[in-house]
Amino acid sequence: MSEEIQVMDSNTEVLLEKGKKDGADTIWDRKAAMKTPCGFGEKGICCRICAMGPCRISPTKDKGAQKGLCGATADTIVARNFARMVAAGTAAHSDHARDIAHVLYMASEDGNYKVKDAGKLMNLAKEWDIKTENRDLYDIAHEVAETALNEFGKPFGTLKFLKRAPYQRQQVWSEQKIEPRAIDREVTSLMHSTHIGCASDPDSIFELSMRTALSDGWGGSMIGTELSDILFGTPTACATQANLGVIEKNMVNILLHGHDPSFSEMMVYASEDPELVKLAKENGADGINLVGMCCTGNEITMRHGVRIAGNFYQQELAIITGAIEAAIVDVQCIFPALADLSDLYHTKFIATSPKAKITGAEYIEFVEEKALETCKGIIKEAVLNFKNRDMENVLIPDNKSHANVGYSVETIIQCLDRVVNSYTDEFNTVKPLADVIWAGVLRGAAGIVGCNNPKVRYDESHITIMKELIKNDVIVVASGCAAQAAAKAGLMTMEAKELCGRGLKEVCERVGIPPVLHMGSCVDISRILDIVSRVAKEKDLDNRDLPVVGAAPEWMSEKAVAIGTYVVASGIDTFLGITPQVTGSEYFVDLLTNRVEENVGAKFYFEENPTECARKILERIEEKREKLGI
Amino acid sequence: MNLFKIIYSGMDKYKDEAEKAVQKAIMQKGRDAGVKLPQTAYALPVIYAITGKKIITVGGLEEALALAGGFVHQGKTLQQALDAGTASAMYCEIIEAVKYTLEENPYPEPLQGHLTDAQIRAFGVALVTQDIPGVPVIIGECKDSHTAASIVKDYQEKGMLTFLVGKVIDQCIAEGVKMGIDLRVIPLGYEIESVIHVVSVAIRASLIFGNVQPGDYQAHKQYTKDRVKAFVNVFSDWDDKIIAAGAAAIELGFPAVTETYINEVPTLLLHQPDNEKTVDTSLEARKIKIKVTKIDAPVGISSAFEGERIRKADMYAEFGGNKTKAFELVRMVDLSEVEDHKIEIIGPDIDTADSIPYRLPLALVIDVAGKLMQEDFEPVLERRLHYFLNYIEGVMHVGQRNISWIRIGKEAYEKGFRLKHLGEVIYAKMRDEFDTVVDKCQVTIYTDAQKVAELEEKIAFPKYVSRDRRLASLTDESVDTFYSCKLCQSFAPAHVCIVTPERLGLCGAVSWLDAKATKELDPHGSAQPVPKEGCLDEKKGIWTEVSKTVAEISQGAVTNVSLYSILEDPMTSCGCFECICGIMPEANGVVIVNREFGEITPTGMTFGELASMTGGGVQTPGFMGHGRHFIGSKKFLYSEGGIARIVWMPKELKNDVAERLNKTAKELYDIDNFTDMICDETIATDSEGVLEYLSEKGHPALEMESII
Repeated sequence: MSEEIQVMDSNTEVLLEKGKKDGADTIWDRKAAMKTPCGFGEKGICCRICAMGPCRISPTKDKGAQKGLCGATADTIVARNFARMVAAGTAAHSDHARDIAHVLYMASEDGNYKVKDAGKLMNLAKEWDIKTENRDLYDIAHEVAETALNEFGKPFGTLKFLKRAPYQRQQVWSEQKIEPRAIDREVTSLMHSTHIGCASDPDSIFELSMRTALSDGWGGSMIGTELSDILFGTPTACATQANLGVIEKNMVNILLHGHDPSFSEMMVYASEDPELVKLAKENGADGINLVGMCCTGNEITMRHGVRIAGNFYQQELAIITGAIEAAIVDVQCIFPALADLSDLYHTKFIATSPKAKITGAEYIEFVEEKALETCKGIIKEAVLNFKNRDMENVLIPDNKSHANVGYSVETIIQCLDRVVNSYTDEFNTVKPLADVIWAGVLRGAAGIVGCNNPKVRYDESHITIMKELIKNDVIVVASGCAAQAAAKAGLMTMEAKELCGRGLKEVCERVGIPPVLHMGSCVDISRILDIVSRVAKEKDLDNRDLPVVGAAPEWMSEKAVAIGTYVVASGIDTFLGITPQVTGSEYFVDLLTNRVEENVGAKFYFEENPTECARKILERIEEKREKLGI
Repeated sequence: MNLFKIIYSGMDKYKDEAEKAVQKAIMQKGRDAGVKLPQTAYALPVIYAITGKKIITVGGLEEALALAGGFVHQGKTLQQALDAGTASAMYCEIIEAVKYTLEENPYPEPLQGHLTDAQIRAFGVALVTQDIPGVPVIIGECKDSHTAASIVKDYQEKGMLTFLVGKVIDQCIAEGVKMGIDLRVIPLGYEIESVIHVVSVAIRASLIFGNVQPGDYQAHKQYTKDRVKAFVNVFSDWDDKIIAAGAAAIELGFPAVTETYINEVPTLLLHQPDNEKTVDTSLEARKIKIKVTKIDAPVGISSAFEGERIRKADMYAEFGGNKTKAFELVRMVDLSEVEDHKIEIIGPDIDTADSIPYRLPLALVIDVAGKLMQEDFEPVLERRLHYFLNYIEGVMHVGQRNISWIRIGKEAYEKGFRLKHLGEVIYAKMRDEFDTVVDKCQVTIYTDAQKVAELEEKIAFPKYVSRDRRLASLTDESVDTFYSCKLCQSFAPAHVCIVTPERLGLCGAVSWLDAKATKELDPHGSAQPVPKEGCLDEKKGIWTEVSKTVAEISQGAVTNVSLYSILEDPMTSCGCFECICGIMPEANGVVIVNREFGEITPTGMTFGELASMTGGGVQTPGFMGHGRHFIGSKKFLYSEGGIARIVWMPKELKNDVAERLNKTAKELYDIDNFTDMICDETIATDSEGVLEYLSEKGHPALEMESII
């Protein structure tokens, strides 16, 4: 297994070498050119929210400026910068969800978009008190969509999904006054509070940040996941492969990169169009090979087993193979650098979202009303581009790993049903999971999520922590680029049970699951919230009581800041492998890593050394177990 | 509740007891004294299997303590907790070994304590055929004796091999549960430590049938998990010692179900407070599926009752046994001649008794018909009557054909058992076990003396005679097909038997005709035809096709087999063989010992020790397991000169095979009463004594070419 990780790195090595030869400029080059990052930015003490500045606070106490022109201290500035990252992250996830809700609203029996999981729709309708009896499925779907859309801007009340949390958690939110109201309102409100001359109390700013972040986790993200499942099907266990080796030499390779499944789902259907496949063959290719990257890769691998080309850091490497006919993107995490890079090859770089037009990219707007048609057109472009490939300058690394993916909460519960004794227990619950944790067979669970970040060696923090945890009988659930790292490292295979402690190995064998479970994209962290809450409810406890942690070992995006904050606000400790830009305020650091626990029962840990991070996770898990007396 | 701490606490108690026991043994017996559990070739079997170390002296027990200590590391992971279970098992075995060392009879009747190797081997066939579908281990005390009895009887009626530990034993005694090794309900002992004796059974199954190497604990665990369908039921309150023992069980793959609340571990540790559901919960946890055949009878019908004896005092009615005429016959008839499920009694039923025991003549005539039925299958089906009738609670069957002897107990009669129920059982079993060849079956039971005599003369004798002729004509030379049998691969994965007309399977249960019928009954089943092609050596019995088949079915473990030689590539053994044969070089011959014989043989070894040399699908030149019936075969040691090599057998075995053996000896060597030349334990068991007897009798082996 460890060998595989090294080999996986060799993919990067050979392609970087090729890139250099081809004259490509990559993130590695730009990182080198960047040298040391801005020290003030790094510490979060540069304030640019009004035009009196920018103001930067001296990192040394009693020396240089200690306040901005308006009098804002480092504590205020750090808190505000942090808050605005939360707002941006929440906006990103939630805006994604809003699009899905719109798509559900336009779904129809004979349209491009249909309801695939009617059962889930019915359950959600019931949860939201929407009438289902004697009603057309699509009527119900539209009302559910409209109700969801109202969650973004409703004038009164709090978010509907908060009720999914254990009541003890709801109590905490209520006491702390951080129950999120409408999603857009929280984002707007937080932007307002962090405007020049508004809030300056770091504690208050962080509380508002938590409220906004919760509107992501229990609002935008959860809506995104739920409605995507209704529209495109709830993921079920399936096999896939991961790493750049999934790019095929003799096929039209189309790289899908971004986040929104309403686009990528349609691309999957379009790529299977017999006419287009025929066209590919007429153009000398063996067929069409769709491969995914980042969270779009996660969405389509979870539902269709579409193979994963790689995660965030590999987007340029995929193009450097010289074998990508088209790199098609929608929103989030797309390097603007892909445009120039594609110019070096025959690769067509196509942007599709009006929210993310990219300089140098061909723009073909994706319009939901004409979804299939648009997608077929895009694929046709890719197919016709095959003949332009310079076959002499193609290098596809061999390495790829098998992975089992598709572990939605529903699928996990279905797997757990395999170990239920029909004479002692009920089916369709998380009790078996709670039981093994309580017995000590599993010591706990960790959600490992997030991106790649050039501040650490790619994927290494993810993999080191995961391996250390599974070795110590801690089950891992993963999403986003962390999940893809695990897939590439072979940790999502049944064979990976051999890397586990006896307890986790036993669970893997009996339940029939790999030790690291792919739960989806970054929006799907809502699935993790869901399953943790179910376990807490099973034991009539709050999330804070459970031996469960979150970790983002290589995070980089604002979405990750929002995620980390809502995970903590949901009562789950969060370990960050990249220190956030807050170290300019000792006060704020202490708030995040210590005092916030008094308010919400969980806190942040900053630990950049993955081995040490894993140790701390295990220690914290044991601490929680000790408290529970288990 | 911290489950692991409970396990560690239980283990600490065993550790303490074991240490004290060893000190006591050293003080009383000294370090050099021997430590031995009765009649096992595997020393302290659990410790031997786990560590590969044979502990044979009191002093060695100190080493055993240290070996157990190697599994003590009280940490926070499941493996460490299960290791504490392993350590607990080892400490228990030490405690029990000391009991056997210091006490004359630590487990007086009805307690069983340690089981001998032979007792385990005797369960072999029943285990591999899943005739014993599971092995429940019941610990503790049920809330009342009625509950205890109903659970144990439920297991018994399902054919399970049930072990009891604790007060549940007395509860079962109070309720009159039929117990004993033959009835598959075995009261081990009152103290929890005695549970090690069933662990020892599971571990020795792995050593004996699985040929798993001592010391390869991982492989032993895999074997017991996959193949020994044991599970544990704990009644009343558990304590930490029981839970530590439970950890050992779980480590071996045996789930536990407790009556009192415990933090559950799905599939492994379950809480079932409802006694009515204990059995179902357990079977589901161990993934045991019981084939249910509904039989209309007022008493239990289960393979567990197979060993039940009806003593004179308990007897209500008796048929045969030299007191009256009795015979049984299965015959194939045309489909049109059979009315399915017709059961007819011709003559008086048992409720007409004027005195007890009521003795009546009996003819059991079973007519079967089916499109795939063949006349050759008749004796195969008929021989099953012995088992079917013995499965009935309160009915005993001995013998076969016209030496059939049946007793019906008073208790069964009082429960309403009548002759038609014999018919019901036979009908249900025939249809169930032979459903591919028996489309219709009818049973006629005659008790009218004149009719019985007439039928015996008219239909039974001619059938028996023609079958005997057919059997006699069946030789290895007269057929073109042998059969492979991998019935026991569920327990001995590397073993495969080649069954020929003159050499039945070494378990004694599968003859060539049986194998042929089995193939017909289940075309893809355990028996498959092997064409008798590619003869390389007629004397040694080497055929390329045979070797090829063996290589294939043993997954390459064995590549060459000589059917008629004990010295060159002999056939392997599973472990449940009836007899083992080993060479006695100084007598230029072989010793045969059956597994019922527990004493030492002239080879210096007991059956168990000899058996441990082979088994598990390993070829050990000079040792060979086989069925009793093979002893009279012309093909027995054919390559080494035949039956003339037999120099010693236990007396009981000698008597059992005498008739056929003498006949074969007469035919082969023109020797009369050859059996008398063979030494037995009443004459001598030491080398010199045996040799003296052989010389005195002029035993032919002494004049033969050197066996080595």
